[in-house]
Amino acid sequence: MSPAPRFELEEAPAARLDFAIEEPRVPRLGVGSGALLLGGVCVLLLGFAALSAGNFIAAQFDRAPALGWFTLAVALLGFGLVAAAIWREVSGLAALDAVDATRRALAHPDTMRAAALAWAARMPDGAAVLPALRGANDPDAVIALLRAGPGEALQREARALGRAAAIQAATATAAIPSPALESLLLAWRGTRLVREVAALHGMRPGLLGTLALFRRVAVSAGFVLVAEAGTEALIRTLGGLPLVALAAEHAVGATVAARRMMVLARVTALACSPLPPKGL
Amino acid sequence: MRIGVTGLARAGKTALLTSLAANLQAGPGALPALAERLRGRAWSVRTAPAGADPVPRFDVAAHVRALASDPPAWPARTDAVCLLALDVDIARPGLAGALPPRQLRLELLDYPGEWLVDLPMLGQSFEQWSAATLARLAREASARPFLTFVAALPAGCGPDEAIAAEGTALYRAAIEAARAAGLSMLQPGRMLMAAPGPEPPWVALFPHTGSGGLHGLLARRYEAYQAAVRRELSEPGLGRLDRLIVLADLLGALSAGPAAFADAAAALGAVGRALRAARTPAWFAWLAPFIPALGGIERTAFVASKADHVADRQRGNLARLMGAVCGADPDDGTFAIAAIRCTEDVVWTLDGHPVSAVRGRVMGEGKMGRSYPGEVPDTPPGPEFWAHPFLALPVFEPARIGAGAHAPVPQIGLDRLLLWLIGDKL
Repeated sequence: MSPAPRFELEEAPAARLDFAIEEPRVPRLGVGSGALLLGGVCVLLLGFAALSAGNFIAAQFDRAPALGWFTLAVALLGFGLVAAAIWREVSGLAALDAVDATRRALAHPDTMRAAALAWAARMPDGAAVLPALRGANDPDAVIALLRAGPGEALQREARALGRAAAIQAATATAAIPSPALESLLLAWRGTRLVREVAALHGMRPGLLGTLALFRRVAVSAGFVLVAEAGTEALIRTLGGLPLVALAAEHAVGATVAARRMMVLARVTALACSPLPPKGL
Repeated sequence: MRIGVTGLARAGKTALLTSLAANLQAGPGALPALAERLRGRAWSVRTAPAGADPVPRFDVAAHVRALASDPPAWPARTDAVCLLALDVDIARPGLAGALPPRQLRLELLDYPGEWLVDLPMLGQSFEQWSAATLARLAREASARPFLTFVAALPAGCGPDEAIAAEGTALYRAAIEAARAAGLSMLQPGRMLMAAPGPEPPWVALFPHTGSGGLHGLLARRYEAYQAAVRRELSEPGLGRLDRLIVLADLLGALSAGPAAFADAAAALGAVGRALRAARTPAWFAWLAPFIPALGGIERTAFVASKADHVADRQRGNLARLMGAVCGADPDDGTFAIAAIRCTEDVVWTLDGHPVSAVRGRVMGEGKMGRSYPGEVPDTPPGPEFWAHPFLALPVFEPARIGAGAHAPVPQIGLDRLLLWLIGDKL
């Protein structure tokens, strides 16, 4: 026999119930074996090179102070350049991480406004939308303003860079007789295009930064596949240029190369932008 | 995917839509069952643009603000059809993750509960409807003035507009009083909740048996009412549902007593029968607009709301009771959920017996209250159940909701309901 139904009000005033909602734990993969191996080789090369250089400088000082000072200056200059390169690589990688951080901040209602204002202030044409961003209350409106303002300007310039690279790729493909040379040229132009679009977004990726950017570009490529129709329209526009039309007549690959460059520009812009993709 | 959210009046449709939208936007932590099914795949949600759609949009932000305010306020009840449209982007699994995310447009239509009980009217003649309605009202003391008026009408009464208006006014007063007493099966629904705009003349009707000019006038108005409901269901904004949620506050009906529970059960049963009939369009062409060209309403979930007013141990019984009352098929889903959770489970020792109870902050009191409303039956209860009346449910405050537009809303079972509804599209 169960007890009769009952309700009882407690005496003391109480705060509202608060159910903490936990985010699911995502396992961290940590540093991979390849990165450890590469790091170890770099430490060994640089460390032993530094030790050898130190021993050599000490030996030179033993031979003659002038020789020692000169050797020290050469070593400092050389290692300084290596350190500058390392710093540049780290800065490039940090800039990519900053894009991720901005993307996360834009996705969170508490940090969205500050992140939007900071990112827009850094971007070309971004200052114009700052008053509107300050006035917007709806998070969706904030993202829409960023897309319509600095986002659109960046996309426009990335498309222009892609068009320039497409013209070069199309004409070079038609002019170069060797397929190996053609591949080399397209790889170089593609890498340069990726770095140009990254610079447009305020980044200066080094070697590692460019590799990391390529990885992101590969992930973002899927988003742009749906934009093939738009790319075709651009290709047709380019076909109106006499040089490209001539190149396309002589080499079928010229059109393919031009298309790749334009898609690459678009994909890179997507990877470098903290704005969520939409309607590509 | 268009999901109709409907249910008896005050069942919690607005709370359900608010919680669903807020939790989808809040992310995986707010809907653990969905997150588990997606296995780490991310999703993002944005409100779809209204465009030139004639159906008003559901104001999620205003409702969340009301819940998050201090003191909190429950969302205002729906007084018209409105639509919540969400664009959900879901990352694809595995290597396909490099492809564009899967895009799903979820359109949730908030359909007023009063209008839901109009569906069974579409399969009844005026005579059938009048007989059934007068029999139901005969049990209500508040309907006596109307019943006396109808009984006193002379046989063969002519189509006098003044008599029709007086009868309508008395009938409206009778069903409004019945609604206040907790009854649900009150038709026509548009008399209790008018559609936007001026009221058309065919709403002015009341149940009447017999013959004569007045009877003919009322029968013609009844047919015009049926035609208007059918026309409305066939409108692009309202028709073509893919999934349906039928929501009911069964705990509230249990606490309102045997008459209110029987009435709610009758209303839900009639709606359940109407929806089942909708799956055989050749017989019931009047519900054809509810049925898309391929398959009609593919999934129907019968959902008991406010399940946080009983302890977890009793929620299984509540879901089974909902299924039994609605006559749910095995293919249908039955759930007991709390779209906006406002209590925690506690063990309370009563008369020396430990019982599973709930504890929450009582609205307007600023103090916690413990509630053990009674045992929830898993089938429609018999007379022995009412020997221990089910306790009236206290109005608890919603649990604290974080600041910000995308703060999660604590819920019970909403994630499993959503997964059941859209799982095949993930």
